[in-house]
Amino acid sequence: MPPGRLDAARRQAKRAGLAAVSLLRGLICGLLCALWPPAAAVQDLIVNQDSAHRQVTQNEARLYFTLRLQRWPDGQPVQTFVLPDEDPLHVAFTKNLLGLFPYQLRSAWDRQVFSGTGQAPTRVADESEMIRQVATTPGAVGYARSAPRDPRVRTLEVR
Amino acid sequence: MGVRYLIATCKPRAPARRRALPAHQRARGLSAALLAALLTLHPLSSKAAESVWTSLQLHGFAAQAAIGTSDNRWFARYDGVSFDFTEVGLNASLRPRPWLLLAGQVLARRAGEMYDGTPAIDFALADVSLLSSPRQRAGLRLGRIKNPLGIYNETRDVPFTHPGIFLPQVVYFDKVRNLVLSTDGAMFYGETDAGLGTLSLNLQGGRAVIDTNVEWAYLGADFPGNLEPDGNSWLAGIWFNSRLERLRLGVSGVSTALRFDPSRHAGFTLGPGTTDILYLILSAQYSAETWTLTSEYAREPLRWKGFGPYFPELRITGEGYYVQGTWRPHPAIELLLDYQEGFADRTDRNGRAYAVASKGLSTASPRFSRIFSAGIRWDINQHWMVRAEYQHHQGAFILSSRENPDPGQLVEHWDLFAVQAVFRF
Repeated sequence: MPPGRLDAARRQAKRAGLAAVSLLRGLICGLLCALWPPAAAVQDLIVNQDSAHRQVTQNEARLYFTLRLQRWPDGQPVQTFVLPDEDPLHVAFTKNLLGLFPYQLRSAWDRQVFSGTGQAPTRVADESEMIRQVATTPGAVGYARSAPRDPRVRTLEVR
Repeated sequence: MGVRYLIATCKPRAPARRRALPAHQRARGLSAALLAALLTLHPLSSKAAESVWTSLQLHGFAAQAAIGTSDNRWFARYDGVSFDFTEVGLNASLRPRPWLLLAGQVLARRAGEMYDGTPAIDFALADVSLLSSPRQRAGLRLGRIKNPLGIYNETRDVPFTHPGIFLPQVVYFDKVRNLVLSTDGAMFYGETDAGLGTLSLNLQGGRAVIDTNVEWAYLGADFPGNLEPDGNSWLAGIWFNSRLERLRLGVSGVSTALRFDPSRHAGFTLGPGTTDILYLILSAQYSAETWTLTSEYAREPLRWKGFGPYFPELRITGEGYYVQGTWRPHPAIELLLDYQEGFADRTDRNGRAYAVASKGLSTASPRFSRIFSAGIRWDINQHWMVRAEYQHHQGAFILSSRENPDPGQLVEHWDLFAVQAVFRF
């Protein structure tokens, strides 16, 4: 075989190899996307309009959602609202805003509920119910995909 | 230990009697008193009363397992496949004031020959928050409190709170589950933000809640008489949680003593002796997104004294550790691998000295356990979970002498397969 044709064959083999690699990569990505739905891009921490607070630290947000801080600094009880564990918004909020994984929240809640040292957060079915509940419950804290238009709900900056 | 064993086998096996647990009644009285005090101290207007009851939460669970072993009995009254592992729990909690939480749980547990499913008060407590700020938190708990020992003890009977159908037995013994389960007393807890994470501390004192299984485990049989807590149990724990709760490190321990009150009507029983027990656990856990690595080491120095000439004074230190990995390829699926080792006497880890002392009545295997486990768990939805587990055992240290009364018949290498279905709400 002349050297030119040999090179061409090599190039072809290389291309085929690359195509196989990219196919494999695509398959893996597809599988991963199927297993873990892509996270919602932006999330906001929302509170009832009565809340005197404008911002919290990420650490404080974690304390409210792990139920370890049950009163706002003004003494009002914290009412925590959450979506189902597998809801993409819940997953994204937990990871991006709290810096935790959903299974860690679940385990913290279960440990407290089943040892009598805390009460479970209120689970709501979807985002619109979340906004409605936060709007009508004093001391409520929850999350939404973006700042809701409901005037009874405010977003809280997480520093 | 050899002598202790001989006494246990010289005597026909006493029937597994159920004893009235005065501790349960105390907890019932205590919770009623707490509620009464609360209602008298805070005469509530009907509107306030309504808002109090909106905080009422009810949660519960029910679990049923099927267990098969190649040899020896484990959560089983008979040979063959056992369905004698059922756990049913129901709890209620109420927050009448932002700083006050009242909570109680009733647990019915059927576990082979060890528990018959009689409902008991698992916890009944008032949690008073004294300080609650983003930097520090502190409070008091009064009543029947689950002991926060190791990573899993507080919720050890709540199936979905721990990997595996059975907790690592070399640390969380099921044969003496009650000794370290809960305390009727008071606890102080505090938590502060340190630079790298959170540091928490708890101190607890009170009366241990014990049962007949404790007597079987520490005296080798159910002798005529009563085994009762000797004074108070003291418990302490210090924990570090890294900022994003990835790393968790802790040291926790309990010091307790049991007193044997012999029956006056029995022909033969032990003297009025005491057993001093110290139980210490070192814990470490690392949690990543798809996997978690957990390891705990437990040490248990024991001392028996005053049980009479047939049961001389004895000091033994038991020990156990496990390494456990879980991997979640999908949020609803968890795979488990676990290796554990436990020894009744850390100076006689292969049990040979014990076997020699028993003069052929026992093999060495009741003195150690080496266990390899593999399991899979599927959380089908928010209410249902199923899992399966395989274990290979070398040794029989973790087995209950109530279920396996003849140590001469214990098989050293044995396998266990179990499946479990759990419902929760």
